[in-house]
Amino acid sequence: MEELIEKLKREVIEQLNLEDIAPEDIDADSPLFGEGLGLDSIDALELIVLLEKNYGLKIEDPKDGKKIFHSIRTMADYITEHQKP
Amino acid sequence: MAAYINGIGLISPQHTTDPALFLPDVMEYTADFLQVINPNYKEYIHPLAARRMSKLIKMGITSAKIAMADAGCQMPDAIITGTGLGSVEDTEKILTSMNAGEQLMNPTPFIQSTYNTISSQIAITLQCHNYNTTYVHRSFSFESALQDALLQCEEKVIKTALVGGIDEMTDNHLLITRRAGHWKMQPVNNLKLLSYQTPGALAGEGSAFFLLRDRHSPGDYGVLRDVKTFFRPKNLRITEQEISTFLSVNNLTVSQLDAVILGYNGDILFDTVYDQLGSGIFSNQQQIWYKHLCGEYYTSTGFAVWLAANILKHQYIPAAVKFNNQPVNPLRQILLYNQYRNTNHSLILISR
Repeated sequence: MEELIEKLKREVIEQLNLEDIAPEDIDADSPLFGEGLGLDSIDALELIVLLEKNYGLKIEDPKDGKKIFHSIRTMADYITEHQKP
Repeated sequence: MAAYINGIGLISPQHTTDPALFLPDVMEYTADFLQVINPNYKEYIHPLAARRMSKLIKMGITSAKIAMADAGCQMPDAIITGTGLGSVEDTEKILTSMNAGEQLMNPTPFIQSTYNTISSQIAITLQCHNYNTTYVHRSFSFESALQDALLQCEEKVIKTALVGGIDEMTDNHLLITRRAGHWKMQPVNNLKLLSYQTPGALAGEGSAFFLLRDRHSPGDYGVLRDVKTFFRPKNLRITEQEISTFLSVNNLTVSQLDAVILGYNGDILFDTVYDQLGSGIFSNQQQIWYKHLCGEYYTSTGFAVWLAANILKHQYIPAAVKFNNQPVNPLRQILLYNQYRNTNHSLILISR
């Protein structure tokens, strides 16, 4: 799980072009939106694309997005639960 | 019809971002195309906002902010932008992705790919809710933006306008348009551009923004008096007539021009137009050229307006841009004449 979290941090930084942020600056449990990294709705779309491109996971119900993208850890949990072995 | 040039911001392949400096040195390149010298964009744009911006948008916002600061203007009455290609880098990202069969498009390049992104991002940065328009007419783009500002100043609709011309060059666009014969087929030295005597121009890019006011104010560079465009003149005689009529409307003759800025770009197929005018109606005028410093692009006349404005302000013509050597009196009237592949012709008159 910790390995996946570190990988996700790097992918989020690259996908969202967070130039001045290093993986160690991101707390895995901090909210990604609003506070924390302060991401917005366009970033949410970018994260949906990231999940589908990198992990083959499609979010069927948009309502689930709020829970899945709460933090890096919730994203990692979702990937772990739903990715086919 | 007139508007005062009160502030300038220019990002180009030369050191031009500091409005206090006027060509302190000349950059020499041997390249396929001339790329801008990027300033530290973080000094002008918040990193969170900048992360979604392509180089073009950063160039636009930064040069716009420099022009605003130079003029001491907080909020323009209008933001008017001219661009021939718009956000071509973002557009290419989408098209390349589609071409590869990609089903999942990243939203950011799609959102930023429209032509009016530059003007609207400047408005968002300045929190400006006033008139905002983008003109996309190839080599008439910047001229159209200037005309809009002039007309609105004339009609007293606005008092200030932030007007810009901006275009970027990408490797892909260079490759495609090179096949169509637009550019030199190999890298060339920009300072020896006219020595090659081959077809094709030296490509470039840049972003020039100007804060125009409807009245004189301290720090003015000069007065933008008039702009005219004409399309595909049948022959040189028609071009000469257009120039003569344009000057006549502005109560001037060719002999009253203190300098003429010509758009030589190194393409022997089309530079002949300048050669003929230079040895003809402009033979007694000081001739100036500039595209060896910035390259050819649809809105390169933005660089020329920057050059003319600074020549008038500093009363000095840098040696690097002199095409001939004529005795020059105090510099008061400068005419810019540009043509792109003998199709889009434009005239811009700037006075002291």
